[in-house]
Amino acid sequence: MYNQPEEFVEAAAGTEYDPYSYSGYAQQEGDFEMHTGDPRQDLAYERQYEQTVPSYIIPEVIKNFIHFFHKCINEGNLFEVNNLYESSFNKLTERFFKNSPWPEAEHVAPVVDRDPLFVILYKELYYRHIYAKVTGGPTQEQRFESYYNYCNLFNYILNADGPVPLELPNQWLWDIIDEFIYQFQSFSQYRSKLIKKSEDEINVLRQSPKIWNVHSVLNVLHSLVDKSNINQQLEVYASEGDPDSVAGEFGRHPLYKMLGYFSLIGLLRLHSLLGDYYQGIKVLENIELNKKSVYSRVPACQITTYYYVGFAYMMMRRYQDAIRSFANILLYIQRTKQMFQTKSYQYDMIMKMNDQMYTLLTICLTLHPMRIDESVHSQLREKCGDKMLRMQKGDRQVFEDCFSFACPKFISPVAPNYDAPRNNLQKQPFTLQLKVFMEEVNQQIMIPTIRSFLKLYTTMPISKLATFLELNDDDFRNHLLCFKHKMKNLVWTKGTSGLEGEFQSASEVDFYIDQDMIHIADTKVARRYGDFFIRQIHKFEELRHNLKKGTSSS
Amino acid sequence: MAENMRRSVSNLMRGIDRYNPENLGTLERYVELQSKENAYDLEANLAVLKLYQFNPMYFQLNVSAQILLKALTNLPHTDFVLCKCLIDDVHQGEDQIMKVLYLHDLLETCQFRKFWVSVPQSEVLMGIVGFEESIRKYICHVVGITYQHIDKSVLSELLGDASDDEIKMWMNKYGWTPKDGEKIFIANQEENVKPKNITEKIDFESVAGILATSAQ
Repeated sequence: MYNQPEEFVEAAAGTEYDPYSYSGYAQQEGDFEMHTGDPRQDLAYERQYEQTVPSYIIPEVIKNFIHFFHKCINEGNLFEVNNLYESSFNKLTERFFKNSPWPEAEHVAPVVDRDPLFVILYKELYYRHIYAKVTGGPTQEQRFESYYNYCNLFNYILNADGPVPLELPNQWLWDIIDEFIYQFQSFSQYRSKLIKKSEDEINVLRQSPKIWNVHSVLNVLHSLVDKSNINQQLEVYASEGDPDSVAGEFGRHPLYKMLGYFSLIGLLRLHSLLGDYYQGIKVLENIELNKKSVYSRVPACQITTYYYVGFAYMMMRRYQDAIRSFANILLYIQRTKQMFQTKSYQYDMIMKMNDQMYTLLTICLTLHPMRIDESVHSQLREKCGDKMLRMQKGDRQVFEDCFSFACPKFISPVAPNYDAPRNNLQKQPFTLQLKVFMEEVNQQIMIPTIRSFLKLYTTMPISKLATFLELNDDDFRNHLLCFKHKMKNLVWTKGTSGLEGEFQSASEVDFYIDQDMIHIADTKVARRYGDFFIRQIHKFEELRHNLKKGTSSS
Repeated sequence: MAENMRRSVSNLMRGIDRYNPENLGTLERYVELQSKENAYDLEANLAVLKLYQFNPMYFQLNVSAQILLKALTNLPHTDFVLCKCLIDDVHQGEDQIMKVLYLHDLLETCQFRKFWVSVPQSEVLMGIVGFEESIRKYICHVVGITYQHIDKSVLSELLGDASDDEIKMWMNKYGWTPKDGEKIFIANQEENVKPKNITEKIDFESVAGILATSAQ
């Protein structure tokens, strides 16, 4: 039923205007071969087909794996599918396809009775592996093919009259959405790097404006959100009702429900990549960020959510909210780290994000010093203590470096002008965000210095401190006003919308001015022993436990 | 009128339709209306900037500058920064936008006196109704969180050489009271700004686990 090219575009229905539809570009004909309608590509496709067909034989162990994988998916054996997906596939990759692609779908198809759905799922893994591991990365053609494959997958899921009979592990569903956006991001960067491209490649790009078009990507995510009624479900869930009561036929089905939820996180990410932080937080308005929920069981999804939420808050100068987001998730990673270590492909990604978030947290705490969880703080001192000191001293370069390392890979939603002189433009969106960030930093650059002076006194005349800082009274007063203004942030207090909040200041050093006198209030923190002892006792307990296990088994 | 439009515009921005460039005309008219009627709708304005981002050929300098100026009227909120993130570098280099960026920088760094000198009345401000009043509100906000007592002359200067009557108006609005002639009492800041001592608290939960294991 799903290989009929049918439009799933729901939101645009009823209006004649429809520039977003991509289904016309994702036609599928009987036998898994896709024709693009572009003779050049089709030709290239066929050439490649001829080259590889005759000689390739799939190793028996791979054949068995695929056969079994197919069977488990068809039988809906979720437990086994999860195992094959998370473990076996990666082990086989490690053994046979460390830096080379898995067998092409055409060769795999006969093993699974040419089951079209399985072939799509297989291709999803196939291309993802090429993006992640294969030396040289995907070719232009593979980028296109992978796009068509996602179109087919989403058409199958979204165009059905009733929920499709497919269940996949949550982790896989998350990875599908995550990868879909990653490949879009990767393509956006790819098409902006014009210098090393051949004339042919540029011609094909020019003629394919709809491939990985931002509207299509948004459309997929919005359609999944709408189809699953996930927003309505979350609303009911937040008020402690039964989400099923509003889920509808599709939304009750785990496949749709989870894809809907992950699409919201996908939208957060997509909007952030485009520099639209407001919309990023806004799409999550039905998700209770500060509460554990049944939807939050995929760690990679949790971590991604908080990374982008924290980043968006940082850009909105909502430092307290950013700090809370980062500190919460970093604590979570710290506590659950061992769990990921077994899944290497996730581990690398999570550790990278972990480091990025420590860096972002360092930036936020430099601009807005406040107390955070002790164990996160001690990690932070270890990883970024030096950077923090230099930022506190007003070293702009360190701010820039930290931002560059830790920010998302920003993209432009539009194709470059292929007819203009060739240039590499992929950095432009990043440069813009960096510029905005640095303008904020520059506005605040004096504050850490002023703070360090204020810390020394309880009362101080404006004019005297101005002299210390070699400023005239008026300028110094402006700095003081700026200090107060920048330290008063909007802070989330209640409700599900992350955009709401009230103005608060929780800065460690605070002050007020009475006419010409500054009155300073510092925060004194007594040394904490209890936390340290508790952790040591736990460590000791663990050690004792392990020793015991060791002796009893030998 | 702006109120009515707010409702109809919010319908335009549901779901995928917010990326439909055909809505741009309506949204741009709405920006104009906000300027004339002293109304404000950040979300709609961001939608305009996003449509420009997706369709660079439709970009309008005047509308963008207007949106930025409107964002200034909503200080101390960071709307301006959000808008800035959606306007590309080339357009930010345009004279008209640069002027607004400069005003923003002065306001964020509380260089109010310079701001009042720099704000060359009509041309940059594009006839935005209630602009200066909104800025004064923001300045009063900053004064309100900073001062316990302020000299009347200082307040007047911050507000752009406000006359006695104007000062009286702002004092009434925020409940500030005159004191000893030339002083104004703003608020009792001692209540909000006081030294904090944080001592360690250990909750029962974290100790309970230890006690349980050691009791084994």
